[in-house]
Amino acid sequence: MAWDVILIGAGHNGLVAANYLAKAGRKVLVLERRNIPGGQLVTESFGEGFSVDALHASAQLRPDIVADLGLRIEASRAGAAYTCLLDGGKRLVIDADPARARAAIAEFSARDAERWPEFVAFMDRAAAFLDATYRTAMPRLPHFALREGLPLAGLLWKLRRLGGRDMFRVVRAMSMSAEEFTGDWFESAALRAAVSALAIHGVTLGPMSAGTGFTLMHNWLNRGGLAHRPIAGGVGTITAALIDALKSRGGEVRTAAEVRNVMIDGQRARGVRLASGEEIAASCVISAADPRHTFLQLVGAAELPPEFVWQAQSIKLRGCVAKVHVEADGRHGLPEGTLALAPSIRYLERAYDAAKYGEISAQPYLEVTTSGNVVSIHFQFAPYALRHVDWEAARAVVEQRAIDTLDAYCPGFKAAVARVHTITPRDLESDYGLSEGDLNHGQLILDQIFFMRPLPGWSKHATPIDGFYLCGGGVHGGGGISGASGRNAAKVLLS
Amino acid sequence: MFELKRTPFHERTSRLSLPQNWRRWAGYLVAGSYDLVLDREYWAIRDAAALIDITPLMKYVIEGPDAARLLHRMTPRDVLKMAVGQVFYTGWCDDDGKLLDDGTISRLSETKFRLTSAEPSLRWLAMNAVGMDVTITEVTDQVAALSLQGPKSRAILNRVCARPLDKLKFFRLTETRLAGKPVTISRTGYTGDLGYEIWMDAGDALAVWDALIEAGRDYGIVPCGILAMDMARVEAGLFMIDVDYTAANHAWIAGQKSTPFEMSLGWTVALDKPGYFVGRRALEREHKEGSAWKLIGLEVDWQGLEQLYARVGLPPQIPGMAMRGSLPVMHAGKQVGYASTSTWSPVLKKYIALAHVQRPHYEPGTALQMEVTVEHHRLHAPATVVKLPFYEPEWKKK
Amino acid sequence: MSSNQYDAIVIGAGHNGLVAAAYLARAGKKVVVLERREVVGGAAMTEEIFPGYRFTEFSYVVSLLRPEIIRDLELPRHGLKILPLPSTVTPLANGDYLGSWDDHDLTRQEVYRHSPKDAEAYDEYSRVMARAAKAIKPVIGMVPPDPSSLSPRDLLGLLKLGRYAKSLSEKELYRIAKLVTQSSADLLDEWFEFDALKGTKSASGIIGTFLGPRSPGTAYVLLHHYMGEIDGAFRAWGFAKNGTGGVSAAIASSARALGVEIRTNAPVEKVIVKGGVAAGVALQNGDELQAKIVLSAADPKRTFLQFVDDKHLPGEFTDAVRKFRVRGSSGKVNIALNALPNFTCLPGEGPLHRGAISISPSIDYIERAYDEAKYGAFSKNPYIDMIIPSMIDRDMAPPGHHVMSCFVQYAPYDIEGGWDDARREAFGETVISTIEQYAPNIRSCIVGKQVITPKDIERIAGITGGNIFHGELLLHQLFFFRPAPQWADFRTPLPGYYFGAAGAHPGGGVMGAPGKLAAEAILEDRK
Repeated sequence: MAWDVILIGAGHNGLVAANYLAKAGRKVLVLERRNIPGGQLVTESFGEGFSVDALHASAQLRPDIVADLGLRIEASRAGAAYTCLLDGGKRLVIDADPARARAAIAEFSARDAERWPEFVAFMDRAAAFLDATYRTAMPRLPHFALREGLPLAGLLWKLRRLGGRDMFRVVRAMSMSAEEFTGDWFESAALRAAVSALAIHGVTLGPMSAGTGFTLMHNWLNRGGLAHRPIAGGVGTITAALIDALKSRGGEVRTAAEVRNVMIDGQRARGVRLASGEEIAASCVISAADPRHTFLQLVGAAELPPEFVWQAQSIKLRGCVAKVHVEADGRHGLPEGTLALAPSIRYLERAYDAAKYGEISAQPYLEVTTSGNVVSIHFQFAPYALRHVDWEAARAVVEQRAIDTLDAYCPGFKAAVARVHTITPRDLESDYGLSEGDLNHGQLILDQIFFMRPLPGWSKHATPIDGFYLCGGGVHGGGGISGASGRNAAKVLLS
Repeated sequence: MFELKRTPFHERTSRLSLPQNWRRWAGYLVAGSYDLVLDREYWAIRDAAALIDITPLMKYVIEGPDAARLLHRMTPRDVLKMAVGQVFYTGWCDDDGKLLDDGTISRLSETKFRLTSAEPSLRWLAMNAVGMDVTITEVTDQVAALSLQGPKSRAILNRVCARPLDKLKFFRLTETRLAGKPVTISRTGYTGDLGYEIWMDAGDALAVWDALIEAGRDYGIVPCGILAMDMARVEAGLFMIDVDYTAANHAWIAGQKSTPFEMSLGWTVALDKPGYFVGRRALEREHKEGSAWKLIGLEVDWQGLEQLYARVGLPPQIPGMAMRGSLPVMHAGKQVGYASTSTWSPVLKKYIALAHVQRPHYEPGTALQMEVTVEHHRLHAPATVVKLPFYEPEWKKK
Repeated sequence: MSSNQYDAIVIGAGHNGLVAAAYLARAGKKVVVLERREVVGGAAMTEEIFPGYRFTEFSYVVSLLRPEIIRDLELPRHGLKILPLPSTVTPLANGDYLGSWDDHDLTRQEVYRHSPKDAEAYDEYSRVMARAAKAIKPVIGMVPPDPSSLSPRDLLGLLKLGRYAKSLSEKELYRIAKLVTQSSADLLDEWFEFDALKGTKSASGIIGTFLGPRSPGTAYVLLHHYMGEIDGAFRAWGFAKNGTGGVSAAIASSARALGVEIRTNAPVEKVIVKGGVAAGVALQNGDELQAKIVLSAADPKRTFLQFVDDKHLPGEFTDAVRKFRVRGSSGKVNIALNALPNFTCLPGEGPLHRGAISISPSIDYIERAYDEAKYGAFSKNPYIDMIIPSMIDRDMAPPGHHVMSCFVQYAPYDIEGGWDDARREAFGETVISTIEQYAPNIRSCIVGKQVITPKDIERIAGITGGNIFHGELLLHQLFFFRPAPQWADFRTPLPGYYFGAAGAHPGGGVMGAPGKLAAEAILEDRK
């Protein structure tokens, strides 16, 4: 059986790419290392009645992907609030409804309340601009051909349409820190911290780091605002929809099929070899795994130019997130929606300081979502590379600290804890195949985005190996759950 | 702490060097010459035996199951086909096929190699060895090296080595004892004559030096500095990094870089070997399309040169050592290249040069002109493109 | 005394103001420079604080003074001598040190001693950075175009920029893109393993900026160090004879020779605006001077928020200037000594005394110093860059005695509780005791000490916020964002009013480029 295309990894990007390719008539095989497909988009059971969205509390594929592929996905629950837990028992509840949000913000600053709708509109425009950028293949500098120049010109046109002033604001804001950016807009410390929390969500940066203006826009785009919009039935239903669609198009998904390496002959991909020793031939191979793992393990350094290998080794992967899933006995007392424990910018920055020195934040930034009895805590910062202890010992520390910290702001929570399942950055690597536990397949820092993602000059999914492509979160368009990278890769392949 | 490194032979060489004209070589201090004029050292290379301290060569031991794979990938030569005891000369490139450095690879065993290079190469070796089971150790300071060059070199070594070297073929090596000290001897050199390079532990350096000087006395052995060697290597058609080509990673602009084909090293590029090697695609392309430049030999026409000097009433004046200044090479009044090293060849009685020449002027037999300065005036002397080397005695490979 | 009618008035006799004035006078303009203080030089100044001991109070090395300015203004004829500053030594806690000398082989040997891997990486890194510096240099000498504008001048500028970018190789462009966005820690981690080497290299990326080496965007400043290298034999890197005040004096002398009038003790009250254009300057003593061109070489806040009434400038512009970040982050401790400090790592008088001595044992050390500063305290274990000017220029101190200049980071402008004498004293003490760990005799050699906080820089040199670059070198404050979006071409929303100091492109350092580019903008407008 000869395949046109083999995809390594049945995460959302792999499945999106596979669907686009199958739709265009290609014979597609998706190989997944785990026993279940989905990658980061999984709803898993950690015990009887303890079923959770393991890594992400919500997810939205780009609307054009849903439409193109005719996916049947449950609409996400809109209207959830973003609640910031503050010191002294105070709370700032930012509702998705701007009028209600304004009223809440007004308690902290009338001026900020005034500006809130304008800010939301600005962020939406910035997100739209980013979305357009993620749709545009980044040209290789500086010798790009006219063919590449045209979409870029379109992008610039879009940029111009934002207006000279807005354009400056968006581009400048990307390189700013969240602290600076929110300071340009708001005076209330609570509101600035609430927004800054989203800016550092999932990345190893503090709100005072340059470039968190960009991560704020990126996360805003992928989430569609501040608060999560959870999916009824869990994020796993998106994976199920993608697989159903793929199967209906003749594609195939094999789980428990770990790829050991890509077979290469004369700098051209010929197929893959599984850990079992089985060899599968294909005229084209696409990896949805992170670029560092892909190049150094699946392809192998020996097949690649030394400078390229050095750059691949230099990709910054810095997992800093642990997930603590708690099953409560029903009286956890937490409100619905998204809770952020981010009382001040300094609090967030201090939490990040620990990560710089390989330590777990003494006072972590937490983002909490609840679904009935299940409370999912996103814990930051829990750096993958711990300097003083190993993760075996640190697991209990994170678990305890997550529960104690939340309990301090929401008294009574701890007493309600019944069962706990913790996922450390080590687990993210060993169980979910994310190198260094980095959810974004590579840090979203200014030198690793746009035409420098995954590597300078290789943003267009192609690699030095003919017939071998990348489509994961580590490529331009990727990072977070959107499917943009998978869509773009398929389009590159088909053109 | 605030001085340059000295080789293990310094105790001897510093006493012998009459002009005390020390030169820098890779962070070491070495003798430029031992005599006040170069003639005796040069003629020892060509007619007797010259003993040259070449310790500053960068040396690396590469060991492990993937050692051959590493060098096979890093260099354009087919290292997998190399026999134990064989020595390869090779250049190596970046992925654009531009030369980074050149040196020798010695296969010491199935899984052990020694690489010599002109520039530090630890970093490049390590960058190429990612994912390989191999250890790379720099031994520049630990391994002392002497080059014994000249028609009498074999006879001298046979006097002091545990085993005669008569069977040691060109570009092969052997392990033996010299004056009781363990040494590796390779039949290699940088002079184009019969010659050997002797590799030893730095602690044994003086004993080996003394034994060779003693054994060579009857054969006219002469300690020789790098200036005389510089003349001999031009005659042998051997080029030098930073003089005759610019390492790709040192170049400020693309035009300064060279490929192996451009350096007339096409014979080292094994395009038929299996697997990826660094620069493969670029070199394949150049092989197909031909090279824009080529390093060739230029022989200056003596009568033409004489005429230029005769006009001002002088006989030709050529300095008695190799010159590293770049000289324009012309064709029909247009510059088509440059000579990077030129020298008077005492053995050939000719004025010769290594020159980079643009297509189509690099074919042997092409008539060109090379710049000469006659009484402060820059003129062009007729010269002819010749095949390298300029000089190759019949005993070199025998 | 001349009349009060001029072609051009320059506010501020710092080196940029003087350069601009000299260029304008060279083009035939009648120019006056107005200086608030009794001396010229601004932050590039040498003063005798204790009798016989001369301090370069603020800036201390000349790194980037543009060669064309040296040529055009004939500065050597006016006394400019740039003496070599040949080495950098980083003393280590274990009694060892890391040295970098002016000889390549010696430096390589020295780095090799600590890490053979780094010795090679060091050479390669230097070459790569020098090539990147060469590539970016023309952009530094360029007037930043406004990409949102459709004016012919901006479009032409963009075209020029684009054409230049196209002339670079792909590798060079990506290298620059990475350098501009990366943190210096990330960059250095890619190349090196030895902590002290990374620490010392990273330090040059944070000088004058309120960021730590792990902050994105700090790698770019590392390039500046390599700019000097590509001036080749010009060697603009070093210590100016008589300190940086010597540079100012030479420029002032050149300017005077070209006919520039320099008035000291002449603080400016306001820029006079008539009919919507700049018409002159009113001094604090009530004098008025008339000119159709007014150029401010003060910091952007003073230039736009103090000298000009808000009503003359668009609100959006003044808003941007208000948001311009000028947080001072460094202090200076200038010390008069009766003997040389004896460093444990290299005892006795030696080559280290003739170069820079850097307390920068690791990136973590500097990052932790920053951590303290960002929450409003000066660093307990600060980064210190010391030089002993009297070892380079024997005229800086009495024979046998010395002056030592210590640049210290971090000392935030906004310190918790505010700067006062007690905190200044504590800051100075922290610096001395830090040095004492490496040179135990330092305290006994001290005969006088001057501690300068960012507050003092603001008070004495008149730089708002006390930032030595008049504004932080942050990504969003560089090139066409400096000092404000759409106004990076040295012109301002007020016709006739120009801006040419470190707060403009290409930024701070004793470079002179903003002054020269501003003068060129004026001459282009008044052809």
